[in-house]
Amino acid sequence: MSLRNADISGNQPVSLNREPDPAKEQILLSKLREILLKDDRGNIADIQDLISDQEKFSEVVSPIVEFHIETMKRKFPKEYKREVETIIERKIKASQDDLMNVVYPVMGKMVRKYVTMQLATIRENVDKRVSSFFSFKGIFGRLRSVIFGVKESDIALGDLEKAIIEEIYVVQRDSGVLLGHYSPTEMLDRDMVAGMLTAIKSFVEDAFRREQQDLEMIEYGMHKIYIQSFPLYYVSVVLSGPLSEKEKVGLSSRVLDFAEKEMNRFTAKDFEYWDESEISEKLVEHFGED
Amino acid sequence: MITKKVILTGNFGVGKTSLFNRFVHNRFDDKYLTTIGVKVNKKVMEINGEGLSILLWDIAGEVTQDKVPVSYFLGAAGIIYVFDLSRPLTYANIGKDLEHLKEMLPDSVIRIVGNKKDLLSAEELEQSLKEFPFDCDITTSAKTGESVEDLFTKLGEALLERV
Repeated sequence: MSLRNADISGNQPVSLNREPDPAKEQILLSKLREILLKDDRGNIADIQDLISDQEKFSEVVSPIVEFHIETMKRKFPKEYKREVETIIERKIKASQDDLMNVVYPVMGKMVRKYVTMQLATIRENVDKRVSSFFSFKGIFGRLRSVIFGVKESDIALGDLEKAIIEEIYVVQRDSGVLLGHYSPTEMLDRDMVAGMLTAIKSFVEDAFRREQQDLEMIEYGMHKIYIQSFPLYYVSVVLSGPLSEKEKVGLSSRVLDFAEKEMNRFTAKDFEYWDESEISEKLVEHFGED
Repeated sequence: MITKKVILTGNFGVGKTSLFNRFVHNRFDDKYLTTIGVKVNKKVMEINGEGLSILLWDIAGEVTQDKVPVSYFLGAAGIIYVFDLSRPLTYANIGKDLEHLKEMLPDSVIRIVGNKKDLLSAEELEQSLKEFPFDCDITTSAKTGESVEDLFTKLGEALLERV
């Protein structure tokens, strides 16, 4: 279709497509912008004032932030439960040994304490029953115990003789590397002893394939090696003389105490470059008086 | 001083114990080895001015054999895999063995050692190494002591580099 139209008066056709004037257009645009953005400019200036005045800004923003925090707190367990669980699970798996190293002595101590308490209660109950049950049978039984009784003499002997700590070794669990030792007397190379002890321990534990069970005692003549295992290391106490159950429980508590106070802070990485004098000194502090 | 566990492993009769005895002079009685399948000893070395104590576990039996307690291998920073240069049968399972060791001890330094080089002439040694399916790190003779010290020094250097 032609863009040219005839004039009403019949004159030459007039072109409707005038060439645009950039200068004019620019002026018009500026005016238009001024009209349309007048309110916005005002708003921006208000916002700038608000931002520069911290107090005012805080008044406006704080309720919004608080609202979102509250909402977040409320929704967090539901919304992010899976993610948090996955992260914690992954973290625990990655540092399982270190975690166990911290938890193990505490758990062991609690279990020992509980068992000791229970044994004491049982003993008290038995004593009560024995003293109250003063029948012929009871008297006969006690007489027999007095005549043939091993227990009373055991107790008497136990009081006279006590187990003496000869040596203590703290050894890295898998490698058999000696982490610290306490020994009042000079003896065979301790590194080799720690290594062989680890090999014997590994051999016994592997041979019987009892999961989660550790070798606890090696006996030779009048000597005993009491072993208490932890996830990253084990403590081995060489004793001479008889070791009663009560003393064993006491020794175990002392080893757990030592582990809790002196060993918990270490991770597997710390044992990579190790100075055994630190732990050796701590062993003297804890067991030196024996 | 840094102490590291190093295991000596490989087929029966390749000379692990001879290497062990050659390297370590202060030794335990051999009866430990026959009783529980392992003998542990220590050697203190000085490498570039730094002290290193090697706790050497001489493990009897083959790597993948079920009879060898897995725990003997655990915690080792270094592995010396020994084979007999004069008997190809002693490295017949090396691929499987190394795979198994790498799986158990992914961060450890492994050295493959061809022992008993004293039994071979120069040509035979060359031929034997050509036939060997892996790169042999060092050839030794526990009998004459050739390269034994060198093996442990190089291993010690590698262990210290990783600390």
